[in-house]
Amino acid sequence: MSKNARTALILASIVAAFFFGVILKYWLLGS
Amino acid sequence: MSAVLDQHGHAIHDTHGHHRTGIMRWLTTTNHKDIGTLYLWFSFTMFFIGGLLALGIRAELFMPGMQVWNPEFFNQLTTMHGIIMVFGAIMPAFVGFANWQIPMMIGAPDMAFARMNNWSFWLLPAAALLLIISFFVPGGATAAGWTLYAPLSTQMGPGQDLAIFALHIMGASSIMGSINIIVTVLNMRAPGMTLMKMPLFVWTWLITAYLLIAVMPVLAGAITMVLTDRHFGTSFFNAAGGGDPVMFQHIFWFFGHPEVYIMILPAFGIISQVIPAFARKPLFGYSSMVYATASIAILSFIVWAHHMFTVGMPAAGVLFFMYATILIAVPTGVKVFNWVATMWKGSMTFETPMLFAIGFLFVFSIGGFTGLILAIAPIDIQFQDTYYVVAHFHYVLVAGSLFAMFAGTYFWIPKWTGVMYNEKLGKWHFWLSMIFFNITFFPMHFLGMAGMPRRIPDYAPQFADYNMIASIGAFGFGLTQLLFLYIVLQCVRRKGEKAPDRPWEGADTLEWTHLPSPAPYHSFEEPPVVR
Repeated sequence: MSKNARTALILASIVAAFFFGVILKYWLLGS
Repeated sequence: MSAVLDQHGHAIHDTHGHHRTGIMRWLTTTNHKDIGTLYLWFSFTMFFIGGLLALGIRAELFMPGMQVWNPEFFNQLTTMHGIIMVFGAIMPAFVGFANWQIPMMIGAPDMAFARMNNWSFWLLPAAALLLIISFFVPGGATAAGWTLYAPLSTQMGPGQDLAIFALHIMGASSIMGSINIIVTVLNMRAPGMTLMKMPLFVWTWLITAYLLIAVMPVLAGAITMVLTDRHFGTSFFNAAGGGDPVMFQHIFWFFGHPEVYIMILPAFGIISQVIPAFARKPLFGYSSMVYATASIAILSFIVWAHHMFTVGMPAAGVLFFMYATILIAVPTGVKVFNWVATMWKGSMTFETPMLFAIGFLFVFSIGGFTGLILAIAPIDIQFQDTYYVVAHFHYVLVAGSLFAMFAGTYFWIPKWTGVMYNEKLGKWHFWLSMIFFNITFFPMHFLGMAGMPRRIPDYAPQFADYNMIASIGAFGFGLTQLLFLYIVLQCVRRKGEKAPDRPWEGADTLEWTHLPSPAPYHSFEEPPVVR
């Protein structure tokens, strides 16, 4: 895997963590 | 064929300049300059659409009573004006600057992911179309405010769904653009271009891209929850089902406040390129500028609740968010000090980019100071949802972001088109913009202090005079931008004096020192060596 692809994947995983994290937090733990 | 100057100033020929022509060039392009141009024209179009909505607002508010629109449509105008200007105009405009400038400033041949770059752009017209179509669906466009607060946003008609879908698409575009920018800056710099040698514009965009990566998914999560509340029976924000509408505000502003800095940090970057060029001095305090930008970005994550002091929170929470917000004045003050210190004893000239940069310093500082005033909780509780807030954020976003974009356009358009803009008309554009901007927005401070609420189509007669002045200013400001369009079109049509490779003698970044004007279609296929 190229260096560019690796950096992009790390960034994309941060995006996914924030997106699913905020929904799961309020879904599972409530407000 | 186009020529590129190598690091010794010798011309080397670009034999890879062949590209498609006509519409297919623009649909299929993977060239950072083409995509930068697409972003800039798209955002310019959205500025005009958002501006027309603003003039619709100001026409209704020209005098007390209901004249032009019904109240429901007025609310749609204010909402869509905000959404279009934030997501369709300001953000894409800075991505356009980034696409044009970042590869040239760091000595890279293009963006890291050229095809994804094309996709990032072409998502935007689709999203814009959804926003415009939403005016014509039953119930019209969303009228929940650009903040899309629940429970308004959980109750609106199908226009709300279109807005949510459009925001998802624009968010995806922003995220892809940010990933592209970060990877390009981290991995594709020319040999010798260390991080602390990068031009400030690149630094501010690198930090902005990290902000986008962190907060756009949070907005996407929030509006996804609104969507499921609307259609799939969840109750994230529905109090009747055990949800909490105030929680939407917390999540939204966790995105929303960093978003403010997403819209202003690249502006700081442009100003940091323009002022040294026209003061003919290196930027004062380069490293402190980098650390100040990073500090502003980090602090932006811990101040969100200053937007919601009136919803009720513990005193300790109010104090925390108040002091954290006031703290942002420190790195911002460092930046303003450094810009002034750069000009100090400089050999200054006042071409149009410099006029806009100095204008930015004055009017953005006013917006910064009113921000400090609003950060103080007891005052904010009085000013919440008044025109004082409207005045404050327009001083930041119009006089800050937009004026910096004008400065950047006049600064770089000789490199982009190979033609010098009309200096006389540029100066007219600056002075008319400056005067009409202040006529429009300065009276709003007085209106807010006198208690006029924002987002209302009608008002008490004592607010009439200042509203009439603001409306006259708004129409003047809007008309003035037609002059800007004319100046830009003259350059695009190659009507004007030919631009030298380095028209500004104080400009010393790679695009000025290593590339001809106009910049060739492909640049830095052989990376320059930076010493």
